[in-house]
Amino acid sequence: MFEDPVLNKLGILPDPTIIEAERRRMGLHLPLITQLFIYLKNFFTGDWGTSYIVSEGKSVIQIIGEIFPKTIELVIVPILIIPIIGVKLGVISAKNKDKAKDTFIRGIGILGTCLPIFWLATMLQYFVGHYIEIYTYGQLNLEIMSPNSVTFSQYPDPEWPFHTGFRIIDGFLFNDQGLIQDTLLHLILPMICMTFVSLAGITRQTRASMLEVLEQDYIRTARAKGCLENNVISKHALRNALIPTSNLIIGGTAARLTGALFLEMAFNYTGMGFFMVTAITLGDYVLINGILVFTALIILSGNLIADVMYTIIDPRIAYT
Amino acid sequence: MKQLSSKKIQSDIPITNMKRFRYLKFFLIPGWRDPAFTKLEYQIGKSKSKRKLFRRLIKPLTIIGFLLLLFVTFCAIFAPWLTKYTVKVLTDKGLSGGIPFDDPTSDHPLGTTQYAYDVLGRLIWGCRTALTFGIATIIIGASGGIIVGTISAYFGGRVDAVIMRIADLIMIFPALILLILFTQMVGEQLPIMLSLFGLLSIPAFARLMRSSVFQVKQNLYIEAAQTGGAKSFKVMFKHIIPNAIAPIIINFFGGVGAAILGFTSIAFLGFGDQSLPDWGTDINFARTKFSHYYAAFWPGLFILIAVMGFMLIGDGLRDALDPRLRVTTKKVI
Repeated sequence: MFEDPVLNKLGILPDPTIIEAERRRMGLHLPLITQLFIYLKNFFTGDWGTSYIVSEGKSVIQIIGEIFPKTIELVIVPILIIPIIGVKLGVISAKNKDKAKDTFIRGIGILGTCLPIFWLATMLQYFVGHYIEIYTYGQLNLEIMSPNSVTFSQYPDPEWPFHTGFRIIDGFLFNDQGLIQDTLLHLILPMICMTFVSLAGITRQTRASMLEVLEQDYIRTARAKGCLENNVISKHALRNALIPTSNLIIGGTAARLTGALFLEMAFNYTGMGFFMVTAITLGDYVLINGILVFTALIILSGNLIADVMYTIIDPRIAYT
Repeated sequence: MKQLSSKKIQSDIPITNMKRFRYLKFFLIPGWRDPAFTKLEYQIGKSKSKRKLFRRLIKPLTIIGFLLLLFVTFCAIFAPWLTKYTVKVLTDKGLSGGIPFDDPTSDHPLGTTQYAYDVLGRLIWGCRTALTFGIATIIIGASGGIIVGTISAYFGGRVDAVIMRIADLIMIFPALILLILFTQMVGEQLPIMLSLFGLLSIPAFARLMRSSVFQVKQNLYIEAAQTGGAKSFKVMFKHIIPNAIAPIIINFFGGVGAAILGFTSIAFLGFGDQSLPDWGTDINFARTKFSHYYAAFWPGLFILIAVMGFMLIGDGLRDALDPRLRVTTKKVI
């Protein structure tokens, strides 16, 4: 039922006066509508509140600034390679419709859609961790995981003048190879999981629109005038088939930037999804609100960018 | 007379059986011709389109999906006979006396998981939970989406704008996070969860229905019905919905698969209904026990089977029914 932030913070105390005092200090004794308007007023003046339990005393904007780079680091490689592989597979699948290759690719795609990502993550962790010695299953920032590093003991290192929040960039800036190795080792499996699971949508959409485009008259004309089959596919057909797919790619990118909830939980990766779940379990409502609004902002701007990109990819479309 | 009638009966039974067999052959084998059907040329021509649809439907992947779904449904229906453990033993922490995370024994063929629950028993009873959740959710979502989408597209204008903005507002937030938030507030019982998930999946179905109704609305028979004096309620539910419902049916099975996946994902995070055996909770129990990985392996395999069955059938239906994917001419090369 309702998670009570005050009880969760103080633990179960015998003294109700302490709980009541804490409630009054937080302003939770006010009517709900008053609380809402106080929150909204603060929200629109740039004060998104202060985290109450999860990381006490830090403002929500500060927390988002810390965890968003981590999520970007996790998803940047999948964002780049998913469209490439997905479109390629979709084209191959459409070229050999109803043959063995097509069935195989569709089977792989459906397998990716159906696999529960957290189960895939757990099983990969088990098998890779069991058979490959340098891989360790565990959280980031554990000292025992990186025994070769001379300098790396904690992140961010207090001796650094500044840090960007991106672990890999910081590793390059301050020449900490242990940090880079540690981060990369922890990122490989989540990236594999995410790529495999997200391929299917783009592959299926590309295949469908390619099949539609290959029926058109101008494709027959191109073949009749003696174009190479490769050129027909890659120049005449693919450009037109990519229009519906581009929407999916940009939408998927925005959705991926909001954090992979289950992947981060399965790998103990402290990004947006991890903080979201932790905040929900503990009842840190200000933090939940902050992350949700940030998520919504990302998705909204993704939609906007998709609309603008539409006119660039397909010049026939114009918003008047 | 008596002799004649008995003769007729005798000759009748084998012929009908033969006919049925031949008809089946005619349906299943592409290009099969039968001399007995020459007189019925007209009816055959009529059923030819049906035969084409059927042949488009029986692709290898669809058959695999159907078999997987059959397996899960079998487990769900015959659960009390397949395992000797009851739901109470499998979900009550005190009742099952045994060792948690035990190796397979004769009592527990796949070992035990946390609180010494039997893995196989929870797998088999979990089929019921998953199927109930998936199908009920999508029935709520699809019926709500049909009604909302039809109303929105039929009236258009201001009504359409308001309904679609509300749908956009719901779709901006990730559905699973909203579901976790709401179940924390309202309660984690299965009926509450599935109705919440159904309500949250209404906007997607409403959009689908809306675009389909916009196409149907252009037809002449709608105008004829309106001119004939039909109330808008009757036009919507008698003339538009039966003609515009195809995309909802196509998306039904895929939606059920996605709902099962979402439900197990939430249960994996620990927000599931603890009073029912379900696969996501099993994986949550065993995911850090790397020495007993099979306690997490089998539930995941069952999720894969169930979701894959629904998704494969949904894909097959989409390929067979969606007119945009139908290839009309042969490839030139």
